[in-house]
Amino acid sequence: MQIKVRLHGVFRIGRFKEEVRDVPSGMTARAVVEQLQIPTRQVGTVLIGGVHAGIDDQLPDGAVLSILPILGGG
Amino acid sequence: MKFLTRHPAAEPASVLYRRCTVDLRSGAMRHEEVPCRNLEDVLGGFGRSFQLLAERRVTAAYSDENPLIVNTGLLTGTNAMTGLRTYFSGYSPLKGSKKGLPAAIWSAGSGNFGAKFAWTGLDELIFEGRSTGPVYAVIREGSDGPVVELKPAGHLLGLTTHDKIMALRKQYDGAHFAAIGQAGEHWETNYMGAVALSTDNQLRSGQDKCRFAGRGGMGSLMGYKNLIALVAQVGDKLKPVSEAVKRVNINVIKGGGSTRLQPIKRGGGGGTWANYDVLQAFHAVPINNFRPQGNDLPEKLFRENVEKAYDIKSEACYRCGITCHNNVHEKKADGTRGEFLAKFDYEPLNLLGTNLGLHDPGQAAALIKLGDNYGMDSISLGVTISYVLSWNERHPEQRLLNGATFGDFVKIRELVIGAGEGRTPDVGRGSMRLSEKTGETAYAYHVKGLELPAYQPETNPGYAWAIAGGHMSMATYGLLTREGKSDLESWVTGITQTKLNIVGFDMIGLCKFFDIGKGIGTQMVVDCLESECGLEVTTGELASAVRRAFLRGLALELRQGYTKEEFTLPAEVFEKPNGNIKLPPVVASPAFFAELSRRVWAVFEPELEGLLPRLE
Repeated sequence: MQIKVRLHGVFRIGRFKEEVRDVPSGMTARAVVEQLQIPTRQVGTVLIGGVHAGIDDQLPDGAVLSILPILGGG
Repeated sequence: MKFLTRHPAAEPASVLYRRCTVDLRSGAMRHEEVPCRNLEDVLGGFGRSFQLLAERRVTAAYSDENPLIVNTGLLTGTNAMTGLRTYFSGYSPLKGSKKGLPAAIWSAGSGNFGAKFAWTGLDELIFEGRSTGPVYAVIREGSDGPVVELKPAGHLLGLTTHDKIMALRKQYDGAHFAAIGQAGEHWETNYMGAVALSTDNQLRSGQDKCRFAGRGGMGSLMGYKNLIALVAQVGDKLKPVSEAVKRVNINVIKGGGSTRLQPIKRGGGGGTWANYDVLQAFHAVPINNFRPQGNDLPEKLFRENVEKAYDIKSEACYRCGITCHNNVHEKKADGTRGEFLAKFDYEPLNLLGTNLGLHDPGQAAALIKLGDNYGMDSISLGVTISYVLSWNERHPEQRLLNGATFGDFVKIRELVIGAGEGRTPDVGRGSMRLSEKTGETAYAYHVKGLELPAYQPETNPGYAWAIAGGHMSMATYGLLTREGKSDLESWVTGITQTKLNIVGFDMIGLCKFFDIGKGIGTQMVVDCLESECGLEVTTGELASAVRRAFLRGLALELRQGYTKEEFTLPAEVFEKPNGNIKLPPVVASPAFFAELSRRVWAVFEPELEGLLPRLE
């Protein structure tokens, strides 16, 4: 299946801003994060279709997955 | 501190703290060892100072009855990473109830002053009354304990925060400093004066890299008292680092809590500046007085864009491995680092940049630097100016002050300078007073008289119950944005249980970045207290002390005349929902807020009983 991945903040460095990717069906957000070699502890928020989701949620075909760094402080 | 017990929660009176009370009018000083009343007293910071403030009936911030309390926390000046905090407490000239009474407030800052202060042997310094002429206080270590002296400070008047510190440095070797700027000197017309704290980096480089205790106008209170600066002169007294604290410090850096704040080259997020990127994903970066437009304008101040024209250096507080400072310098034609411009943190950058319609990093840096040099709280300054700009946009035929509008750097700069020099009281006295004067209060972005930080109130009804800074005394600012929580239950739990724990850091002497998500009721803090102070405290005891201290702050707000109706958000949030923010609007709907308020008070109210002493 195809998904669109949007990266934000430091996750874009050396990667991309937005990319369409072919992934196996049933893939989770965590698997995409790992595939992109983003340390999971640095992931603050995951959105699927613009809605907050869990990192272990499965991605539907055509999903837009946004991966955001941690927000907070100062 | 003198510890006659290892169990301060059970035997607080067996812990004594060293206090000096200075009568600024007469110069008389009283030194005493004071037994603690409870664990909050032992921990220090606002946990202790608010109990002292609660013993007084203060009806005006600028009055003889209002003390300025300077203290530290139990871990200030220890080997615990980030243990550098100094606290300034008093009744605020800025924050106050509609009844006209000032609210109790504390403000915290890092820098090296706090550690030096603690190393003199003093735990608390209370300034009573008002000096007839400008003075500064010197705190030293004497043969019989700490010594405090008052010295004439006429030669410091009119200098910036940085210049005052550098002038004092010439006289006091091995010392660190706390100083107000011109804003605090103009306390009658500027209520948002901050206290600047010197840093090692500043004294070494000569660059104006102070840290600030900004919120609530404690610098203005200092100015009213004619107290221009503090000097703590003593040799460094760090013990060898124990294995236990070494482990904690490594955990602070590598355990995950501070990851997002560390430099990008170390795999971190690059400080709080990175919030721009996260919030922009929801179009929730404040722009033009907290009205996000659903466009890309905030991206102009993204780090990746600023880096194209400026050099950014990651630096740290003294002995802190988090390294969260992003100091922006000019970039010379050959690509090398030029002059230091300003430190870019999320709040000042947004509130003196994007939220004023300014999207040029150089202009934002210039305003941040000016605000710092005059010694003003960047949050209150930025938000009050954005109110002026918003009024002027709505009333083109009847503009306020110099007629500044969003994006007009020259005129906005004039307003900053005018406020700093005490010539523009409409800005210097904050957004609550200005909006009451104009009659248009709905878009004045303050809660209970204290301006909001750079998180949209539409995303954070928890602001209403913050007892000091909107985000630093109630950590609900990410509950919707980061955690995606939009149900009532999560918000009630957040406000009444988990997110109030953030205030614990403002008791114990640690920066919030030590472990911002968890607070101080953790094994890491327990280990530090055991190692550095020889105290046995449980995580539960720490958490209970933090809760009592928070609730005492809430009780004090009610005693200072706040009605429950004042625990609310700026009216524009309810009246004109902003459809550009891509987050569920439900948490800022009137119905949700009303029910949240009912549920929150149902939890808090029974616990407030008996927390404050009865006043005559």
